[in-house]
Parts: sequence; structure tokens; C-alpha cells
Amino acid sequence: MDKGMIITLPRNDYVTEYISQYSIEIINQARIKGVPVKELKDKNANREEFESVLRKLNYSLIVFNGHGSEVSIEGQNGVLADKANSSLLKERITYARSCSAGSILGRICMKDSKKGCFIGYTLPFMFYVDSNWISTPRKDSVAPLFLEPSNLVAISLLKGNSALHAHENSKKQMLKNINKVLRRGGNESFLFAQALWNNYLGQVLIGNPSAVM
Amino acid sequence: MSAKISESMKELVITKIESHMPSHLKLSIGSYGNLSKEEMIEHVKKGDEIGQQIVRVHMSFLKAVASGEFARKMVSVENG
Repeated sequence: MDKGMIITLPRNDYVTEYISQYSIEIINQARIKGVPVKELKDKNANREEFESVLRKLNYSLIVFNGHGSEVSIEGQNGVLADKANSSLLKERITYARSCSAGSILGRICMKDSKKGCFIGYTLPFMFYVDSNWISTPRKDSVAPLFLEPSNLVAISLLKGNSALHAHENSKKQMLKNINKVLRRGGNESFLFAQALWNNYLGQVLIGNPSAVM
Repeated sequence: MSAKISESMKELVITKIESHMPSHLKLSIGSYGNLSKEEMIEHVKKGDEIGQQIVRVHMSFLKAVASGEFARKMVSVENG
């Protein structure tokens, strides 16, 4: 396996726009570390391109941004990963910032895997946004409370940490952000804490916890 | 989510959303998109799939607080 990252960046609605825009922090970390990155952005986040790139590049880290279900992960306009092409992920480290794919698809991908690891969510991934900034997500001060801890999975991996460390580091940051919003107070703090708690409970690691890039 | 949601649970969640959610915020919950306060309340009232998810998240948090799990996790991160 070669050290490198393939990242999907669909932008077909506000949710994917947000998670893709916040992925710049992951891509920047890869650049800092000199890790090659293949971006599957917008219309290139399609199944044909995804499969072709994964067959061509033996990169160790796959990061999905996109809608998901228990059995699939989507790209720009359709399913990118499901049971039929799950073998492409088997021996890699996958982080899926996608709803629910950690419950069934992650287990399918890691079945009989020796070195691979899948970090994802067994529940819908949730975050709040400030609608005043919906067309300029990077200026939103609310969304980072939820998206930065999730970015930490990939960032920690890119820094050379193990999958388990990356997973735990991310979850720890979710708890720290709960602490932060509750201490700060305000009407919305309770709702923010609930959503962060949902992501905390839902994030799972399947496969080899010692996996490194 | 197959568990039946009682009317009292719905009322509790709606009260929480009404009293805690400023109108400029939206909730992003997967492919359901960005939901306004009014849309969240509407889904909870209907008890549809999105409404059930919203109720589940509220109840899960309340259970964690009531059981002490939430406090234990918060203490662990403060000490960690």
C-alpha cells in the first residue's frame, strides 16, 4: 500500500457543500506532510471514476464526504461505494463522514480484512449551521464545532497516528466541544451538545485499530 | 427506528426545540438536508422518519445525562 489519500468532495446540496469545504483542513494537512492527494471533486465524485482511481492508485487512506445509508456511500449524484465494490476498501484505512455507513457497509468492507480499518458512523451524522453563512460555509462559526472534530480522524492519520488514536482523538474533541458549548451557555447550547453526543455515540472503528498510513 | 414515540415524548422535544433553537440555526442531518426550527417541529409532530431521528437524539442525550454516562465522559475528558 502506498502512502496517499483519495478524498471525495461532492457538492450537490448544502450538506455536502459544507463537509467538502471543511475538508480543506484535511487536504492542507496532507500537503504539510507531503502526502499525495487525489481529489474526486464534484462530478468526478462518481462511481466509475472512484473505482478507476482506487484500482490505479494503491493509496492507503480513503476519505469519503457524502450522504450515506447503512449499506452505501454516495458521491455527487449516486452511490460510490457499496457491497459490490467493497473489496476495494478491504485493506485500506477508510474514514466515511457519511450517515450510518459504519453499521453495515463498514463491516462488509472489513470482513476478512487483515490490515484495513473503517471509521464511520452507525447513526446519522449531524451538525448545526448558521443560515446567515449558508452560502459561505467557511465563515460559519457554528459548523466547525461539529466538523472540526470529525476532520481530526483524517488529520490524525495523516500525522502518522494509528487508526485507534485518530478515532479516539476525534471523539475526545467532540466531548471537549460539548464542554465548551455548555460552559459558554446560550439557548442553543443544549441542542449543540445533543448533536455532538449523537456523533460521539455513532462514531465507530471497525477492523485493525493499529492501522497506520 | 421502529420504537413507538409517545405523544409526551414528542411534546417534550418540541418544547425543547421551541425554547432552545434560535431561528438563524439549521440542523443538517444527512440526506434530509438543512432543517429550520419550524421544519424540525413539523417532522416531530408528524412522527415521520426525520422526526423520529430528532426525537431519538434528544432522548438518547437525556438518558445519558440521567444514567450518569454523560457526566462520566465529561469528567474523563476534563481529567484526560
